[in-house]
Amino acid sequence: MHDVQPEPIAAAVPKPRGRAIVITSGKGGVGKTTTTANIGAALARTGASVVLVDADVGLRNLDIVMGLEARVRHHVLDVLESRASLDDALVTDKRVSSLRLLAAAQTREKDDVDTQAMHELVNTLRERFDYVLIDCPAGIEMGFQNAIVGADEAIVVCTPEVSAVRDADRVVGLLGNREKIWLVVNRLRPALVRKGKMLSVEDVNAILRLPLLGVIADEPGVIVSTNKGEPLALDDANPTGAAYRAIAGRIAGTDTSAPVIPTEPSAMQRLGAFFGGSAR
Amino acid sequence: MSARRIVLTSGKGGVGKTTTTANLGAALAKRGHRVVLVDADIGLRNLDLVLGVEKRIVFDLVEVVEGRCQLRQALIKDKRFETLSILPAAQTRDKTAVSEIQFAKVIDELAATCDYVLIDCPAGIEHGFRNAIAGAAEAIVVTTPEVSAIRDADRVIGKLRERGLPFRLVVNRIRPEMVRSGDMLSIDDVREILGGEVLGIVPDDEEIIDTTNRGEPVVLTPDSRLAVIYEKIARRLEGETIPLTVLTAPGLFSRLFGQRKAG
Repeated sequence: MHDVQPEPIAAAVPKPRGRAIVITSGKGGVGKTTTTANIGAALARTGASVVLVDADVGLRNLDIVMGLEARVRHHVLDVLESRASLDDALVTDKRVSSLRLLAAAQTREKDDVDTQAMHELVNTLRERFDYVLIDCPAGIEMGFQNAIVGADEAIVVCTPEVSAVRDADRVVGLLGNREKIWLVVNRLRPALVRKGKMLSVEDVNAILRLPLLGVIADEPGVIVSTNKGEPLALDDANPTGAAYRAIAGRIAGTDTSAPVIPTEPSAMQRLGAFFGGSAR
Repeated sequence: MSARRIVLTSGKGGVGKTTTTANLGAALAKRGHRVVLVDADIGLRNLDLVLGVEKRIVFDLVEVVEGRCQLRQALIKDKRFETLSILPAAQTRDKTAVSEIQFAKVIDELAATCDYVLIDCPAGIEHGFRNAIAGAAEAIVVTTPEVSAIRDADRVIGKLRERGLPFRLVVNRIRPEMVRSGDMLSIDDVREILGGEVLGIVPDDEEIIDTTNRGEPVVLTPDSRLAVIYEKIARRLEGETIPLTVLTAPGLFSRLFGQRKAG
């Protein structure tokens, strides 16, 4: 069990109202940051107040994926070391007013973060926001420990690859007892699964055995949106955006449908995409 | 004669460090060099899987450092390439189990017995990264043409420079059609931001997913365009001058008929 803050007089200390969810994976490059940005944007779009916390001190990227890098003035360590107030450090999203970003320090090390102080910061954020989404760094070193310390819930992002599944399995073990540990399978290529050249969602979850929150197909649009800093979840017409919105709905409990496993586009759709360029 | 000691690093995870290590190692071994691959990702090892030797692990790097076995006992000889061996990482320990000095000592010991030591660095810039670069004399920075990967690579290059480690680039997972449509950074963009010599450009190819899952370096696949590319990277590393092939996006004709332009 993780540490629980002592509460001398239970009635005097309000229980944090928001939910703290860490997005983690073990293996890097499976889509933690993209998942964090999109789920955050999707939740905030429904009116919930959301703060995204970049826990990747030294290698931050959530600001880029959100398109907010030019607005970052202060970061988590400025707050923890009292050089900036929380309000000064929170960056408001350009598109959704109830969405905030707390950036990581870029020129510092993960060992600079005090784990206890990080835990307290997450608790403070939970008093102000409905959702605190923490973007965990790759690996299982100090940065991982700092990212998971304040979270009651976890989303494990995994791609259908043997190495990603192995790393995810290790991370699930390290997460221990949390209220909830969910799975998002990212970058599925249905055509490869059909040919037996990629693990299926069932293959992945035969090993991990986690409640499935959603499945995201591998599509170039994700790279484009990341490079542009525009989360797909805010694009009403985009199917991947819809998949992220459904994930947000399942987290919030408003969507009780089972996740849809992406299938191959038909020959006509492929030709349409090819000749039309923008057709999906 | 002592071996070249090369760390493969990236900052960002999932850009293809392990795959590049395995394939470059296999390509060098295929060319007759004695090669040892070292998995520095203690706790999240994967190089064994990519090479398909996961069931043959008896001892690991941490056990070598702790004196519980001989270095040669921990080395796994590849069955396909006689001159290729791998030193696996421990899976159930963490990165602090080994210090930078201990790591460098193992690399020194290996370097006395072969031509190339390739060190597969973990993601990030924490303790595991510092260990992995401690024993290296040069670096290959693997990156993908994405803003986030480039930013992380830039940060890592800064750290390599502090250590005086020379570096070269492998640009991985390039999608020519996306570069052409302006949706992906080009090689020139990458080179301009990061500097350094480009050792190779590797296209995003489904083949790599399959071979990785099967634990077979793609270098083994005859007629594979990726095998050709990794062999060229190996030759450039040896000092040969081979012009970089500019990857062209498949045109309408080749796309509809499933032909591939070799990169």
